[in-house]
Amino acid sequence: MTNPMAESELEAAFVGIAEIPSGRYPDRPFMGSLVQVAITAIRDAGLQVSDIDTVLLIPCLHSADDQADLIFSRVVEELGLHGRAKASAMLHSGGSSSDNITRTAAGLIASGQARNVLIVQAEKWGSAPVSDMVDMLSGYGIPREWERPSGLTFNAVGALITRRYMAASGSTAEDMASVCVALREWARLNPNAMYKDKELSVDKVLGSKLVCDPLHAMECPMLADGAAALVMTSAQHARTFTDRWVRIAGSGGCVSHYSIGQERDLATLGWKVAGEQAFNQAGWGPEDADLAEVYDSYAAVLAIGLEGLGLCKLHEAGRLFAAGEFSPGGRLPVNTNGGLLSAGHTGVGGGTALLVECVRQLLGRADDARQVPDPRRGVVGGTGGTYMDGQVLLLERVQKN
Amino acid sequence: MTDHASTPLTGPFYAALQRGELLIQQCGDCGAKTMYPKYACPSCGSADLGWTASAGLGTLHSFAVQQVGAPTGFEDDLPYAVAVIKLDDGVQLLGRLCPDARDGWDSYFCDMRVQFDATSDDGRHIAWFRAQERTSS
Repeated sequence: MTNPMAESELEAAFVGIAEIPSGRYPDRPFMGSLVQVAITAIRDAGLQVSDIDTVLLIPCLHSADDQADLIFSRVVEELGLHGRAKASAMLHSGGSSSDNITRTAAGLIASGQARNVLIVQAEKWGSAPVSDMVDMLSGYGIPREWERPSGLTFNAVGALITRRYMAASGSTAEDMASVCVALREWARLNPNAMYKDKELSVDKVLGSKLVCDPLHAMECPMLADGAAALVMTSAQHARTFTDRWVRIAGSGGCVSHYSIGQERDLATLGWKVAGEQAFNQAGWGPEDADLAEVYDSYAAVLAIGLEGLGLCKLHEAGRLFAAGEFSPGGRLPVNTNGGLLSAGHTGVGGGTALLVECVRQLLGRADDARQVPDPRRGVVGGTGGTYMDGQVLLLERVQKN
Repeated sequence: MTDHASTPLTGPFYAALQRGELLIQQCGDCGAKTMYPKYACPSCGSADLGWTASAGLGTLHSFAVQQVGAPTGFEDDLPYAVAVIKLDDGVQLLGRLCPDARDGWDSYFCDMRVQFDATSDDGRHIAWFRAQERTSS
């Protein structure tokens, strides 16, 4: 199916972005972070706060109370939009929330039900007590009747996928560690990244403590605080106040499981089906992409995503990372913000940060050191829960004539 | 830990596990086998669901050995190995792997044959598996 919105004046356009540094910031307030990135993104778009008519919230995971504030429109009141905003709603699909929320916003805009949409996210995972978060991540998205009794953890989910991927692809421990090293090289160029100041090597990764065999400590994502926002409007409206925006050329998705024990192939997941849908809709292929931003809470998750989306040959991603193909200066820039593994795992926001980075790169607004030269097309891949889905957005830069 | 194992859906499965049997849900209408057990048959939508015994034989799709960072209540289990098992019955499940003869999991590998271990249950609602014993047949 081709993109029904192609060339339409009501086609959705990304016009503004914002992000604050990821890491441990215990003194940075949750609501304050949301307000800060919201206003920054709206100004980045060239709009006023009062122009926003729809607020879509990406959930936080650190606190049920804070999540309730998102659900019940506190952001609207904090921004002074109460009495004016048409809708405020949270949409939750874990790490793929930003992809699903973007498609929702695009639909609201295309059908004339929203004009200027603010999408906003903040998380305080990095400041929450670690043991509470381990317990949360042993229950969240893990079937309580069938899998919790075995003591399944989120790192074990990552380890199950990693071991299967290594067996299927013949990738070595060094190959897998090199994924983390490549992401760190990108993070070193990103002032918002949690690990912007720490170098990493394959030896360091493999020398770190074995947490859940085959995963070492430095192959597990570090929980972080962070916040990000996006502003979307129609192409018709965008051209009245800006010269450049980003459109959604195609999108696709596949929900492959709920329970990790029910995933038919841990080395495939939902990417292939999702990617084919998206590229068919866009009318271009993986070879046309100038950069890719694909969910990477574990190295194997990223390797499987790149392969499933056709961005490299099947079973080769690990070795290609080791050869520097996806590092700064390599063939295809991948996760140019450092990804979840090196920019920080901001809960549901890890996917949001990758989406924001793709839009930022296509708008040409990244810091010089990591700005991909003149990119036109980017691939965004997100996934939630125990990698229950593969969600793909194919983004394209639009330059006003 | 809250006991989520005593529901009408899970009760028969875990009661059998405690007796040393591995059960699979089976549809009385279309005959489809289902894991994990569901409220309606995912193949035909029927609510006429019963149980059938599994031989407990299958292949090891993947496994992970938790060394540190266990959830609350599992600390004394460390180290332990969780695994995804594809049963010959055409269904799959998450369980645990018994330690091997060297008291570790180094002898396990993806796609090896495994079998249900009926002796390991201690009422904790865990399905245990170990390397399949070679038979002369």
